[in-house]
Formats: sequence, structure tokens, C-alpha cells
Amino acid sequence: MMITFDHITYQYPGADHPALRDVTLGLPDGCFALVVGSSGSGKSTLLRCIGGLVPHFSGGTLSGTIRVHGLDPISEGPGGMSRYVGFVFQDPETQAVMERVEDEIAFGLEQAGLPRDQMRVRVEEVLDLLDLAPLRDRVLETLSGGERQRVTIAAALALRPRVLVLDEPTSQLDPQSAEDVLRALVRLNEDLGLTIILAEHRLERVLPFADLLVYLDAKQPGALAGPPIDLARQLPLRSPLVQIAEALGWHPTPLTIKAGLVFSRTIVQPPAPQILASPPQIPESEPFLELRGAYAAYGSSVVLRDISLAVRPGEIVALLGRSGVGKSTLLKTLVGLIRLQRGRAFVAGQDTAGRDIAAICRQVAYLPQDPNALLFAETVRDELLITLRNHGLTHTNAMHGVSPDTLLERLGLLDKATAYPRDLSAGERQRVALGAVTVTRPGALLLDEPTRGLDYLAKHALADLLRGWQAEGAAMIIVTHDVEFAATIASRAMLLARGEIIADGPIGHVLGTSPLFAPQTARLFPGTGWLTPDDAIQALRKAT
Amino acid sequence: MNAAPLHPFAWIAWLAAVCAVLSATRNPLHLGLALLCVLLVTITRGLRPGVLRLAIGITLVAAFFNLILARVGATVLWRIPGSWPLLSGPLTLESLVYGALTGLALAGIFTAFGAAQGAVPTRALLDLLPPAFAPLAITLTIAVAFVPATLRQLRQVREAQLIRGHTIRGLRDWSALLIPLLIGGLDRALQMAEALAARGFPDQAASRRSPAILIAIGLALLAAGLLINAWGTSLLGWALTLLGLGIIGLAIWLAGRNTPRTRYRRLPWTHSDTLVAIAALVAGIAFVVPFALPDRAVLAFSPYPQLAFPLFSPIHGIATLGLSGPGVVLLLASGE
Repeated sequence: MMITFDHITYQYPGADHPALRDVTLGLPDGCFALVVGSSGSGKSTLLRCIGGLVPHFSGGTLSGTIRVHGLDPISEGPGGMSRYVGFVFQDPETQAVMERVEDEIAFGLEQAGLPRDQMRVRVEEVLDLLDLAPLRDRVLETLSGGERQRVTIAAALALRPRVLVLDEPTSQLDPQSAEDVLRALVRLNEDLGLTIILAEHRLERVLPFADLLVYLDAKQPGALAGPPIDLARQLPLRSPLVQIAEALGWHPTPLTIKAGLVFSRTIVQPPAPQILASPPQIPESEPFLELRGAYAAYGSSVVLRDISLAVRPGEIVALLGRSGVGKSTLLKTLVGLIRLQRGRAFVAGQDTAGRDIAAICRQVAYLPQDPNALLFAETVRDELLITLRNHGLTHTNAMHGVSPDTLLERLGLLDKATAYPRDLSAGERQRVALGAVTVTRPGALLLDEPTRGLDYLAKHALADLLRGWQAEGAAMIIVTHDVEFAATIASRAMLLARGEIIADGPIGHVLGTSPLFAPQTARLFPGTGWLTPDDAIQALRKAT
Repeated sequence: MNAAPLHPFAWIAWLAAVCAVLSATRNPLHLGLALLCVLLVTITRGLRPGVLRLAIGITLVAAFFNLILARVGATVLWRIPGSWPLLSGPLTLESLVYGALTGLALAGIFTAFGAAQGAVPTRALLDLLPPAFAPLAITLTIAVAFVPATLRQLRQVREAQLIRGHTIRGLRDWSALLIPLLIGGLDRALQMAEALAARGFPDQAASRRSPAILIAIGLALLAAGLLINAWGTSLLGWALTLLGLGIIGLAIWLAGRNTPRTRYRRLPWTHSDTLVAIAALVAGIAFVVPFALPDRAVLAFSPYPQLAFPLFSPIHGIATLGLSGPGVVLLLASGE
């Protein structure tokens, strides 16, 4: 075995329970292991143990034995292990030291004191391995998220590690960029025999590539490990493909769309195309959010071109597109954070031109990508009260007789009302931020990447919450790379490219026909309009 | 335009010469010639309109303030009536000209730094530090990279608070911006530190080998020497100071030898670098070193008490042309 964990128990300093409990595990040389589990199950901790970052960097108490390529990471420390274990974290921006691609790749080699000739060979090797040669002189800031993450991987690989450890490396990437990164990893694993250990929430992205699945449960000691084909069905976290396979009794469990199509083609009598997306039909009414011929720019760079859209009360629109096409800018123009160059924006029938941002945001809640930017109060309840105070509102006139505690209860946070917001999990923090922007009871919600870093349970909780607001007539625009989430919650989808809307319609039509943004169910049953496992399972059960 | 094919040391020599020349003269003809050289270098580096606007702004502000505050000069342009302290009195052409000349000199230095800053990446400058300071150089590189990231984060936090209806009325209201900014910055710093630790930085074995005792001894001797000299200069004081400096230098050299870090990019010193450095050196010496060249009095132009046409020293003029070195090299390189 390349990596062995023998009865490892680890507790962070100040934590009231261990992050890892009695984990015994063996990861063979050359495997592609996928580590899964809900938030707080210890995935990141397990990965950090391999590189010696736990306990050297984090402190805390650790018992048991770890061996990586015969070495003990606890005695070697991160410095000693850096020659054997390459580490790639979630956010490429917080890992880069140098300005340019080539310098960034060479940084680790310089630290190791390699002679210049050897450095040049290794830099060229990894540039080729990860298709980065055309980008070698580029400044990192000018690269896309996927390209930056590949540079990070290249920098880790330059030291020729035996193991590459990646902690949610695709969580901030659009589907295409994520696919590029994962394909690069598969090539490294298959062509070079590099051992890859990867943690990820979105199983549908990575499961097809893994040959070993490791499951950690926050409530159970130990770890479950085995081939994905055997283990995928036993886990509480399942990709849409595995959910369908289980419901329809497909054996062996298909892990790729190609394998799933073998089953779906034999059992499905292609039904007439229909949209079974769960949200209800939206009654015709005056739009709550509207853009007419909108243009927006950063300096001389035009980001939005001739955008016209209308979102009605009770409608949820998913806004999709590659990174940097203007999705977040579009949301900001609606609340006045970015002024339109041309065109007009309306909220509840009122032109937003010249209106105060605070006044607009009383009618439209906007949740930015990073909810942490909103949070600064001592308690969860204070976060809501501060927003009310900012708007000159009291508990009663803001909520039409409903107190902030009622909103906290709805958000599932009443028991955390006196907790310090930053001590909460990612999902809870996001709900606190949602509470802070919706406490004025706005008529619309704009959400920017709301599922980033959330596990399946947190995503379900968020979807339930949004459906509740939708039922009460809230209009919503959700910017997301998470097509599975969009398929679950939205009634309509828009695709944005180079600042223009290139597709707009019922979500079944837009996603079902997109080769890039189609969810797994749509890929499995093309032409049916089914987007979620529930759509497919219900329709097929009805048919039989 | 890409980074200039010049060694950072050549750029540093040029910058030093520009500072020396522009500080040493207020003669409009020599100042103008030096500024033309700086402008040539700036244009070949890709002139940014913002830099030019700021340079003009500096000149106008300096001229205005000198006009208002200096009451010397024979040519009265206007007289502020009354008896207001500092303000009332004559406004003279000479004070306006002198202010503008000082502003031009400052604007020239500012523009030169702007041109050199874009040409030499921060990393290349930090690579000039001795190997013993490699961890410091990397820390500075990261710190420099943190500035734009922090500004981005500040914008995000400001937007996030705006959408909550936040306005700053008093000191307490700043907490809505500062707390998320501070905590976000700490989070990023921790993530960066963890990523660096995973990449083997810093080399703790090298840190353990650093000759800290030698540095402590050197600092103690240096302090003792300076203390003795403070009471009255003595041979013992100077001896201890020099010994202290020598030991510190030795410690830095030893620490550098213990640092295993190597460099991927070599910064080759070319003939162009030699030419630029020599030309800059000649210009600097001509304007700063007394008696280096004849006609030095011409440089000390003053418009007071009455403005007169300045004289021109051809030999200093030729030396000033040395400041165009990087511009000429860049023009030749782009011609190739």
C-alpha cells in the first residue's frame, strides 16, 4: 500500500469532538481515490494528514499511525513530505506566489535547491503534461479559473511527488473548466501511474474517474473504502446517475453516462418530450425584475450587451454560462451596484436609475458569492437586526408582524441565534447571510453561486427554503455552475456568453439540449426533457 | 509592451541618475532635456495616460503653492489685497516659475519610477537580495501580491454592506467593513501559509542552521561601538563598529551559503546593461560631484530676484543625454 492509516484519531485544538475517529485505511499505489462525505466529516483533515499539515500546521492531538510511501508524515512534517506529496487546495488564488506561470511552477523547485538545468527540464515536462506551454509567459491574473488550477497542479507536480492530493479542486470552476482539470488528472493517473487522492462534494463530476471510493461519516467512526461500483449505492450521498440506477434496479451500477446509456436505451420507450421540472407554472403577471436593452462595462471593457429579461413573481431563473461572461455583473446591475451604460433596469415596476442602493435592496435581496463578506456581528440574531436598523426598520414594520426569530426558525437557525456566525458551517453561514439580506422581506432574491462548498444535505435544505419563498411569490435569479441544483430548483434557464443571452426558455429545453450544461439525467435520457432523478423515476414508474 | 531586456541593476542605476540630475538643477534648459530623456524612456515602455495626467497635476500643484506662499520676485503678476497672514501680498512670476520647475523635477522622478516599475517585476528586484534573505524576499513578494487581493476584498465587503443598507455615520460603523476585511485577510493568509508549507517553504533545516549567534554578537558590538562614539569619537568606537558590521556581514554570507534555494531565471548582464549603467553614471556624476565638469554654476539656476533667460552648458547637456539610455536600448530592441 502506498498510504496506510492505522487507527487514526485526530482532534483540532478547542474542538469538542474528533475530526477523524479511528480511521483505518489503505490506499494502493497508482490509485485514483475519491474521498466523500458531508461537511465536517473530516475529508480535508484526512487529506492534510497525508501531507503532514495535520497536526504540524493545525496543532491538535493525533493518535495512531500513518505511513506514506514508507514515511511517517508526523515526524517528517510538511517540509519533508513536500517532496513526496503534492497538495492542491480549493482556491487557486490563495496558493500562487509568483506573477507568471513559469515562475510559479519553478517556485517549489527553487525552494528545494534544484540546479537550474534540472529545473528547466522539470518545468518543461509539467508544462507539456498539463497543456500549459502556450500559457507559460502569461500573468496568472489573466488566466481563467481552470487554467489557474492547472498551473497549481503543475506547480505541485514539478517536484515529482508520488502522490497528488487535491481538496475540492473544481468547486469554484464552471463545468467545462472542471472537466479540463479532471481530464488532466486522469491522464496523470493513467499515463504516469501517479496516485491521486481527491475530495469532492459533487460526486457526479468525479465518480466516473475514480477507482477507489472512501466515505467518511461525521457520526460514525472509521472510514468505508472500496471500488465505486460496489460502494456507490451504499452511501447516503449519491450522484443522480446512481440514484436512478438504484431506483430502476440497474446492475452493475453504472458510473459513467456511457455505461448508464446501455441500460436507459433498453428500457426507455422514448416518451413525448415533456417538461417535468418540479416548479409550478408561473401565472402571467407584471415582471418584478426587468432589464431592457442593458449594457454594462468595466472601464472600456463591455461586459453586458443588449440584455433584456423579465422575471415574474414566483419564477426562478437559473443563469448559467462560463466564468467571466458577466453573470455576476448582471445581478449587480439589478441592485444598482453597477450602473448601466445604456438601457434601463426596473424593480417592482420602478426604474432603478438614480435610486439609492439601500432602497433597491429593500425590495431585492442579493446574496453575493462570498457570504462571509456580509457577516460581522457578534451573534446570528444581530446580523438580522443590524440590517433592519440599517434600513431604519423595526422588527414589526419590517416583517409585517413577524419577528427575526421567525425568519431564523425558517432558516433552521433558531437554535444558533446566539452563536458567533463565523463559527458555523459553510451551509449555516450561508443561511445566516440569506437571513441578513432577506429580513426586509423583499419581493425578489438574487443568488450568486449559492451552492459553492455545500454538501448534498445543505443543498437540499437550501432548495427547500427557496421553494418556500417561491410559493410565497418571490422572483429569483440564481447564478450557478451547479447544473444539477439548477435543474432541481429553477423553472427557466438562461445561458450567457460574451455578455449576451444566447438561450432563454424553460429549463428542460435549455439544459436538456445543451451538451455542456445538461445534467446527468438529461444526458441519460436525451430528448425526454427529464432533468432530475425524480423526473425520470416518476415518469418511468407511471409508464410501467 | 513586455518587460524590458535590461537587468534590474541597470534600471536601478538609471533611476538613481534621474533622481540625481533632477534634484541637482532647476535650470529650465537642462531640466527640460532631462525630462525629454525620461519621456522617451516612458514612451518606449508604453506611456500610460494616467501617469502623464498625474505628472501634470504635480507640476500645477507645485506651481500654485509656490505662487501663493513665496513672496519673492520682482515681476508682480497680481496682488492679493488685505492683511491676511500668508495670503495677502504680491504674486510674482518668479515664484510661479520656480514652483513649476520644482514640480517638473518631482513629476520627472515620479514618471521615471513609473516607467521602471513596469519594466522590472517585483520578483526580479527581490531576487537581487542576498540568498540569506530569500525567505524575506518571498514574504515580500507575497505581501505585494496581497495588496490587490485586499483591495478586491474591500470592494466585495463594501458592496456586501451596501446591499444591507449600511452607511458610515460614525466610528462604530467602520466595523462592518473592517471586521470582514480583517477576518477575510487572515483566512487568506492562513490558506497561503498552509499552501506554502505544503510546498516545502520555508526550509526549516536551513532556518536552524542560520548563524543567529554571530548576528547577535555583531549587533552587540555594533551597538557598543555606536554608543562609545556617541560619547565622543574614539578609535575603540570605530573599531567596535567596524568589527560589528563585519561579523553581521559574515553571518549573512554564511546564512546565504546555508540556504539551498536556487534561481530558475538567470538575469544576464548584457552590453546594453553596461551602456545604460555607464551613461547613467556619467550623467549622475556630472550633476552631483562638484568639479567633475566645468560650468557647474549654470546648473544652479534661480529665477529670483528677476526672471532671466537661463544659460546652457553643452558639456552637461551631453552628459544629460545619458539618461535616454534605456529608451535607446528599447527602441533598438523593438527595431530588431
